[in-house]
Amino acid sequence: MALPSQSTSLPAKPHRFRREPSEGWLAVMLLAPAALLLCGILLFPMITTLRDSLFVNKLTEPGLGTPFVGFQQYVQMFGDPRFGQALRNTLFFGVLTVVGSFLVGIPMALAAHTPSRLRGLARVALLLPWAMPPVITGLIFAWLFNGQYGVFNDLLVRTGIIQEPLRWLSTPGLAVAAMVVTIVWKTSSFVALIVLGGLQGIPRELTEAADVDGATRVQSFFRIILPMLAPSLAVAFIFRSISAVQVFDIPYTFIQQAPAQGLLETLGVYIYRTSIEFLDFGYAATLSVALFAVSLAVTAVYVRFVRGGD
Amino acid sequence: MEDAPPRLSPLERAGRWLGLAALIVGGFFPFIWMVLTSIKTEGELQKFPVQYLPSALNFANYAQVFTEQPFARFFFNSLTVSLLSTVLAIVVAAPAAYALSRLNIRGRGVLLTVVVAFSMFPVVSLLVPLFRLMRGASLLNSYPALILPYAALSLPVAILTLVAFFSSIPRDLESAAMVDGSTRFGALTRVVLPLSAPGVVTAALLVFVNSWNEFLLALSFNTRLSMRTVSVGVTLYQGEFAFPWPLIAAAVVIATVPIVVLIAVFQKRFVAGLTAGGVKA
Repeated sequence: MALPSQSTSLPAKPHRFRREPSEGWLAVMLLAPAALLLCGILLFPMITTLRDSLFVNKLTEPGLGTPFVGFQQYVQMFGDPRFGQALRNTLFFGVLTVVGSFLVGIPMALAAHTPSRLRGLARVALLLPWAMPPVITGLIFAWLFNGQYGVFNDLLVRTGIIQEPLRWLSTPGLAVAAMVVTIVWKTSSFVALIVLGGLQGIPRELTEAADVDGATRVQSFFRIILPMLAPSLAVAFIFRSISAVQVFDIPYTFIQQAPAQGLLETLGVYIYRTSIEFLDFGYAATLSVALFAVSLAVTAVYVRFVRGGD
Repeated sequence: MEDAPPRLSPLERAGRWLGLAALIVGGFFPFIWMVLTSIKTEGELQKFPVQYLPSALNFANYAQVFTEQPFARFFFNSLTVSLLSTVLAIVVAAPAAYALSRLNIRGRGVLLTVVVAFSMFPVVSLLVPLFRLMRGASLLNSYPALILPYAALSLPVAILTLVAFFSSIPRDLESAAMVDGSTRFGALTRVVLPLSAPGVVTAALLVFVNSWNEFLLALSFNTRLSMRTVSVGVTLYQGEFAFPWPLIAAAVVIATVPIVVLIAVFQKRFVAGLTAGGVKA
């Protein structure tokens, strides 16, 4: 304040630079490679998918050519019971696994947040499910749920909860439960990480003050910590919802081992099979647009949240 | 009892230890179980009640992983693809993140929202058009067929992480250097870049993990055995009706070791980076 110099006011008056052309060009040059990569590899193929959904394109029937059929494949999709089932499965798994990942993830974050000599180890335990390749998670849990020698069966029999080993993957209801457990194990980490970030942002003084005022830990958790975590929880919720809708790898590995296929087939798996196994590119594009629409609906909620939060 | 706030009642203390123990056991158990499975023999595996520990250390499964499939080649492919995807993503994301956090761009908020929106593309929806793109460019069964999409798919999270990180470096440091006669580029390379190294490391780790773990595109684009990656490679040991679990377990352990080492070494950075990128996005 004592210095009369104006040259240091650069950060305070950023708009001064807006009219300098060099700044604009610099921005364009810095942003161009990212824009190019995103548009070329993500946006352009997505637009191609929109177009493809209006054309029949079956590699198994090359004689058909690729005629324009307008929205005919959309009509076909809404009458397709397999699509209906896949959509219901996706939403069903989505709701169960998102809720499950919060019920497991929040206590995980609280455990990892408490100061302890084991904190480093706790952090690795927290990160491991998140960082593990999803296909490998699927394989590992398929083995844990093995109908004959699986460790889950062993533990349940030893504790007397069940008498005989259960054939988890070949019993429809149990296969669904096994897949939900697997996805919840894999995704709770993500919720825990975001919540942990939120917890680290809460000043200690707040809970200490509540402590001094005689609040119990449970009271200060629900009255102070949880409300302050609201933004983190909202972010985690949206990202989890989107990844839940798009889930592919874990159902794919489970289906390889489980005859209860119809119940495990998500929209992602159905799209994969339509394109790679049935080679029906046109209809796969239509299904992709449907999945994209579902993702977009969730994204719209997110954008609203970000805009509202600013 | 209430005079010193950090003191905990025995019940709370027990609860805290129980929570920590549950977290550590729950996080590690599936991986540890694969390690145990991988050193058992087929005979030891087919016992119920389960025999928890193997009777002898048996590494034959690990040797077989490499002889039954070209797993060393898979490993090399994954390493190459993941490292090059990481380099490409960072080289592209860093300037963009710098621009978004430092330059006065009109519509900055809109641009950031667009970046977030890009992170929400369902990969499976891009499968067929990307397949055609790669086939058209004669890139199927090549490293770029995976590197380009991996870099693009990780770009949003890399940009968001770096924007969050750059924004936390005080602008005054840069302007001070510029007032002292440094050019903007000079301020960037000598002041901002060294300070942002931890953020770049975090973003790089995120891209590497994403690329190492990717399955769908690797499964579909690089179908030649010599071009397979590790995540697809681990699924190749199962026969049509048989699941040689000790062998699969050994392959799974080998494929997961790089990830385990990375998160053990960089656990602090991962937690800091993920939370910063996620929450501030």
